[in-house]
Amino acid sequence: MRVVVVGAGEVGFNIADTLSREGNDVIVIDRDEERLKVLSDTLDVETILGSGSSPRVLKKARLEQSEMILAVTDSDETNIVACLIASAQSKVPFKIARIRAPDLNKDSIIFDREHLDIDLCINPERESVKHVINLLEYSGASEVIDFAGGRIKLIAFPIEGDCIAVGRRLRELNGMFEGHLLVASITRQSEPFVPTGKTVIEEHDTVFVFAESSTIRDVLQFFGRSTEASERIFIMGGGTTGLMLAEALEKKGIFTKIIEKRQDRCETLASALDRAVVLHGDGTSQNLLKEENIQDADYFIAVTDDEEANILGALLAKRFGAKRSISLIKKVDYTPLVSTVGIDGVMNPRHATIGAMLHYIRKGKVISATPVGDENTEAVEFVALETSKIINRPLRDIAFPEGSIVGAILRDDRVIIPSGDTVILPGDHVILVAIRSAIPAVEKLVTVSLDYF
Amino acid sequence: MNIRSILSIVGTLLFFLGLAMVFPLACSVYFGDGDLQAIFLSVIITCAAGALLYLLCRPTEGKIALTHREGFLVVALGWFLAGIFGSLPYLFQGVVTTLSDAFFESLSGFTTTGATVLNNIEAIPHGILLWRSLTQWLGGMGIIVLSIAILPLLGVGGMQLYKAELPSPVKDKLTPRVKETARTLWIVYIIISTVEFILLLFGGMDVFNALCHTFTTMATGGFSTSDAGVGGFHSAYIDIVITTFMLIAGINFTLHYALLMGRLKLIKRSSELRFYLAMIIGAVILVTFNLRVHVFEEAGTALRYASFQVVSVVTTTGYATANFNEWPALSKMVLLFLMFIGGSAGSTGGSIKCLRILLILKHSYMELYRLIHPHAVRGVKLDSKPVPNEVMASIWGFFMLYLTMTVVAAVILSSLGLDMMTAFSAVAATMGNVGPGFGAVNAFSTYADIPSFGKWVLSFCMLAGRLEIYTVIILFVPEFWKR
Repeated sequence: MRVVVVGAGEVGFNIADTLSREGNDVIVIDRDEERLKVLSDTLDVETILGSGSSPRVLKKARLEQSEMILAVTDSDETNIVACLIASAQSKVPFKIARIRAPDLNKDSIIFDREHLDIDLCINPERESVKHVINLLEYSGASEVIDFAGGRIKLIAFPIEGDCIAVGRRLRELNGMFEGHLLVASITRQSEPFVPTGKTVIEEHDTVFVFAESSTIRDVLQFFGRSTEASERIFIMGGGTTGLMLAEALEKKGIFTKIIEKRQDRCETLASALDRAVVLHGDGTSQNLLKEENIQDADYFIAVTDDEEANILGALLAKRFGAKRSISLIKKVDYTPLVSTVGIDGVMNPRHATIGAMLHYIRKGKVISATPVGDENTEAVEFVALETSKIINRPLRDIAFPEGSIVGAILRDDRVIIPSGDTVILPGDHVILVAIRSAIPAVEKLVTVSLDYF
Repeated sequence: MNIRSILSIVGTLLFFLGLAMVFPLACSVYFGDGDLQAIFLSVIITCAAGALLYLLCRPTEGKIALTHREGFLVVALGWFLAGIFGSLPYLFQGVVTTLSDAFFESLSGFTTTGATVLNNIEAIPHGILLWRSLTQWLGGMGIIVLSIAILPLLGVGGMQLYKAELPSPVKDKLTPRVKETARTLWIVYIIISTVEFILLLFGGMDVFNALCHTFTTMATGGFSTSDAGVGGFHSAYIDIVITTFMLIAGINFTLHYALLMGRLKLIKRSSELRFYLAMIIGAVILVTFNLRVHVFEEAGTALRYASFQVVSVVTTTGYATANFNEWPALSKMVLLFLMFIGGSAGSTGGSIKCLRILLILKHSYMELYRLIHPHAVRGVKLDSKPVPNEVMASIWGFFMLYLTMTVVAAVILSSLGLDMMTAFSAVAATMGNVGPGFGAVNAFSTYADIPSFGKWVLSFCMLAGRLEIYTVIILFVPEFWKR
């Protein structure tokens, strides 16, 4: 597939990276020559210098031969114009725009076919805020991903020494836990793998568990994780993400303090927020944190643009008594560090962006695709077709590729956490987890028959 | 400063004031109780003076554009002259003998104060009484705002006048054009007045009394048609209707407009409205208990008189169904402080206004908050919207000027030999456009015995209170007159 990416910033870089690794032809347009040089040095992509909102530049990118345009610059206007030109000038079938303005969401009428005709709006900040809110709700988890519109959740958490699951085979767990859960993946010493019934859980493993949303608290309790809801939260950094997060928390009635360095930005925050305490200062200042009773905080969430500061701030806050910390980290290189140094969760706006795109890249009736953990694992939600090989047979008889597992099934509004005997019927929503290397084989298994259409 | 255009606008204003006197004239013809000549003379003089001013000073070409400063002068001068010419019927009829009394009565009408120097009101002819009530109704929504609404006179200057007469700390323009806004406000005012008029008729009032009381309730004025006032009707129904409409008149008319347009969100969000209602409910409860213990046997009676009186004072109407000067100290104290709070901004009520009090409280809370969180950044907010610092400064300035004027005027009055309570409450009641105070100026006596110099001071207080201080005080600042 030929894909044009407008904007070579953080988001654009990651998209180009993922897409080209998936075997697509990628053309990146940006106005910054330096940035393009970095891109062409590290990725296997074509680069074009120029403005993404210029018809001439877009023509140069041979847009008419492309199947998809992703406009992901920092400017909503540029992105919208790029998509508009793409549909008017070159009839590109798929148009994805990054839209940051909080009042322009994808339900807005202006994006429909008659008006701007943009197929998908992605808002990395908003998605990652949603992600964090999910985490706060289940404070024992280090990651929470929604499926089937929130009915099914995939949660990740580290296993500690006093957990009753340590030293037990997965098979035993199902007998001990009343209800249904399925361990879809385990990360042991930074290596993800898909377990079998015989796998023994060890201390320091990070397990990924599928369960119905209503039982998540029981699951966490079973593994000895905390389930209390968060009441007092510190946010470090009042940028777009910080503000969005504070607004979301305020709506939930959670007591929030937000720390921001720039005085003028503080004033903007103060006028946008009603109850949150807006503090002017450095989030890594010991005095400020103590003065504002950091020791009573349930969560410290560092969301500045500076990833290193985020990590340091999160560590410092924990040192002074904050119960848990989350930091915004965009660089994948840092992800393995996180659990080692003691940060409880990562907020990664890339996930949302990449997930949204994967949905279009994956063939077949894929509803959503989400990177899990360090992005070497992916969770895919799709509809089981009549023609697929996985239906009408017990799961244990299907030769799933190594490194993949069916985690949950949604059948007519009913959630099924599968076992070996479970049979998938046509029309079921299937949620499957696979290690990246297994993805082509999985794709083949579930969608190979699609070509008949 | 363009004196010609100022005078021409004021002239037009006077001409229309003269025309407004035609209504009492008609009333006087109908009842025929001897005030025809006085009112007729007033109509002629006022109209002639207005027409003369206009013709002499009318602009040679185009429409008049007013500057910010000229706007203040037009409004202050307009109100002053309205007071002078509005007093003519009283003088000609001979219900009062001195200019100071007549001016006091007339200005007390236009400013919706309701303080009176007249005794034995029943004996006064109907035409004069109607004029007395009509001045309140006209002054309630504003004579300048009315003229903006109906006169094709003004070009750019409309907004200047509007701001000078209806100074609200937070501007809410209902429509893009000031003329439309003024017209909308008046239409809303007329609609609500009509409803009250009909309800009062149902209560057994005759047309004349219902009309007069509607005029003075909706304007939160407080003039009645007899010495006994509203209490004279001895009807719980009338008490309730009037209480309700005083309450309504004390609410921001923007909200009434929103209600008529079906925009309920605006009403639900309004923290000023919540503050206004909460304050009234709190005060009613307090006074009811106090009265139940010391004055009335029955809780129901206590509630009826307490709620009427609290609403009457807080909306700055000044009606009385009981002589609250004889109530226990707690009730009197509550009522005295309510005189300093008043109705909502953008209502016909006077005094400092709930919005300013609310914002001042919020601002004070913010100072405490800053002590608790030394690094916090936080501004005062109203209905989730930040209030700019300039607005806060202007509110504090207003508050300070209001209190200073109260103190100075009270000192002057006491130097004239009035006792403390009388002097202080008379100033509070006139500055706040309430009307009756305590002591010698209580609801069942009059301002007649105050020395004539004192009456001029109080008249000044009424005008300053009605035009919200700045518009009047600014004329005494030398800087204003510098070219």
